[in-house]
Amino acid sequence: MTAMEMSAGAAKRRGAGGWRWSGRIFLVLLLGFTVMPMIWMFITSLKTGFAAMQYPPQWWPAEPTLENYWRLVDPSGTVGRDFIQYFWNSIWVSTLTTILAVVVAVPAAYAFSRFRFPGRSFLFFAVLLRNMFPAVVFLVPLFILMKALGLVNTHGSLILTYLTFGLPLAIWLLKGFYDNIPVQLEQAARIDGATRFQAFFLIVMPLSTPGIIATSIYSFIGAWNEYIYAYTFLTRHDQMTLPVGIQRFFSENATDWPGLMAATFMMSIPVVVLFLVLQRYFVRALTEGAVKH
Amino acid sequence: MAQVILKDVVKNYGDVYAVNHVSLTVEDGEFVALVGPSGCGKTTTLNLVAGLIPMSGGSISIGDRDVTDLDPKDRDIAMVFQNYALYPQKSVYKNLAFPLQMRKLPKDEIDKRVQAAAKTLDIVHLLERKPRELSGGQQQRVALGRALVREPRAFLMDEPLSNLDAKLRVQMRSEIKRFHQDLNATIIYVTHDQLEAVTMSDKMAVMNGGFLQQYDSPANVFANPVNMFVASFVGSPAMSLVPLTAASKDGKVVLQSPEGWEMPLSDANGRKALRAKSSKVVLGGRHSTIKVHKSSVPGAVPGKVYTVEPTGDVTFAQVFVSGAVVNVSVAPTFQLRPDEPVFVEFDQERLHLFDGETEMALKLA
Repeated sequence: MTAMEMSAGAAKRRGAGGWRWSGRIFLVLLLGFTVMPMIWMFITSLKTGFAAMQYPPQWWPAEPTLENYWRLVDPSGTVGRDFIQYFWNSIWVSTLTTILAVVVAVPAAYAFSRFRFPGRSFLFFAVLLRNMFPAVVFLVPLFILMKALGLVNTHGSLILTYLTFGLPLAIWLLKGFYDNIPVQLEQAARIDGATRFQAFFLIVMPLSTPGIIATSIYSFIGAWNEYIYAYTFLTRHDQMTLPVGIQRFFSENATDWPGLMAATFMMSIPVVVLFLVLQRYFVRALTEGAVKH
Repeated sequence: MAQVILKDVVKNYGDVYAVNHVSLTVEDGEFVALVGPSGCGKTTTLNLVAGLIPMSGGSISIGDRDVTDLDPKDRDIAMVFQNYALYPQKSVYKNLAFPLQMRKLPKDEIDKRVQAAAKTLDIVHLLERKPRELSGGQQQRVALGRALVREPRAFLMDEPLSNLDAKLRVQMRSEIKRFHQDLNATIIYVTHDQLEAVTMSDKMAVMNGGFLQQYDSPANVFANPVNMFVASFVGSPAMSLVPLTAASKDGKVVLQSPEGWEMPLSDANGRKALRAKSSKVVLGGRHSTIKVHKSSVPGAVPGKVYTVEPTGDVTFAQVFVSGAVVNVSVAPTFQLRPDEPVFVEFDQERLHLFDGETEMALKLA
């Protein structure tokens, strides 16, 4: 190697190092941008109402308290009673939405993946069509529809609505998984003595478990966090889900910031737990399609 | 084991005929190779026998049963797939047991049969592993095991060796042949490799464009190809085909080239050449029946060496004859140089003549 080539190589390395460092700095900034609000949310939830409003802010509360959390889970107080009710409403609506979405999406996605029928691509496009418009476009039409069906102020209205965007996404995701499972596996099973349904149920379904789990998580989170429809369709307090219910911490005179933050923190727990428990499958699901051939 | 009969089998997708009125009988215990280039309809034919795709017409019977309208599970066949199609989530043991479980055999019977099959194929030590932990050759054995564990009426194999490396392929080739002999199994074997078909099968069915071209023993297909497609598909190197014109001269039939040379034909070959629809006749010859001379001899035609490929015990060469490539073989001591003018002599007893219009072999009445 000549001296010139060497210095060129060194410059290149220096250049690469420079890029690497700026990349790292960017990632740290991005991380801070993402995580800081969550940390601040948690810190605020430990403050008293007075401490939360101080300026300059207390970076760490002088007298940290769990009072805000106790208030939320204490069924003898109004706040606690309401919060627990919202929490269960959210669990109920999200779980039912997820189960229905998966139960319908699994056979639908399988059919789209495996069968060639007239209008197949048109139908598949039509399924996705709903997700190409902002949710707010459908707000008024769906409200009128729900009213006509007598579903306003019921969880049914929410579950049906959530399915209209959760189900297409679930079908679309799952179809990708079924596309990646070689059709010869089912053919082998059918020759080995399985009916078409058994081949699907005994061979293909277990192989798509990671896909089903990933789809369930998406669908659950979508329903869990949804605000605008829940806000529009539900006016009765005992029906409200968490995103809408939490709003009650805002009042005309003063907002209970620590209480609001504690409630928000509590709300994120089920999703985090769900994700941690299932992440093994989730990561596998995201990488699966890349390496199968 | 049982006889498999295809009668006038058709599979079409609109105007496209993947399988076009194919009829053939596979005798009990026979090894039949379905062979042809990609897209010739061989795999579709196999899938029709398996019942994996619906037929457009015709009928198929296995043993004494018409299975045309039966589900794959009721046809009592086993199939080995090109990509093996082992159940990835199941251990080797469970892969082998699956066909027996589906038939609701008692547990101890299943165990007995799985162990026996594993022993036959020398995969006992792999039973607890998952398919992804096996090498290609081992996966291939498991796939064979899953097929033979059930003692089906017929085995269907779809290019089972094409995913193996060259050495393993030759080894598995003899093992499958052995497997056929030991079990006296009826096997329908799809391959695009004519060498596999020739070396393994009792009979080969050569397909092209959805049509069955020829169905006969490899020796007969090799010696008497019915048309130019079969002639050029079977054999390695392929049969050489030279398009010429037939003419009568002094009471004898000769083949004329556009360059002006003539090749006299024997009486029998002359009568064959005259049966062509027009004067267009294609001369065919396999490398082993063609002699190469450095100087002109009676009956030989002029050509020019194109490439020379020594293989050790025989040297292959390509020679341009009237614009067509003719494959020849010579002894390794026989020196040939590219672009050298030579004379090639076709063996009158073993040359082939084809109708230049219909591409069919010309035969005596």
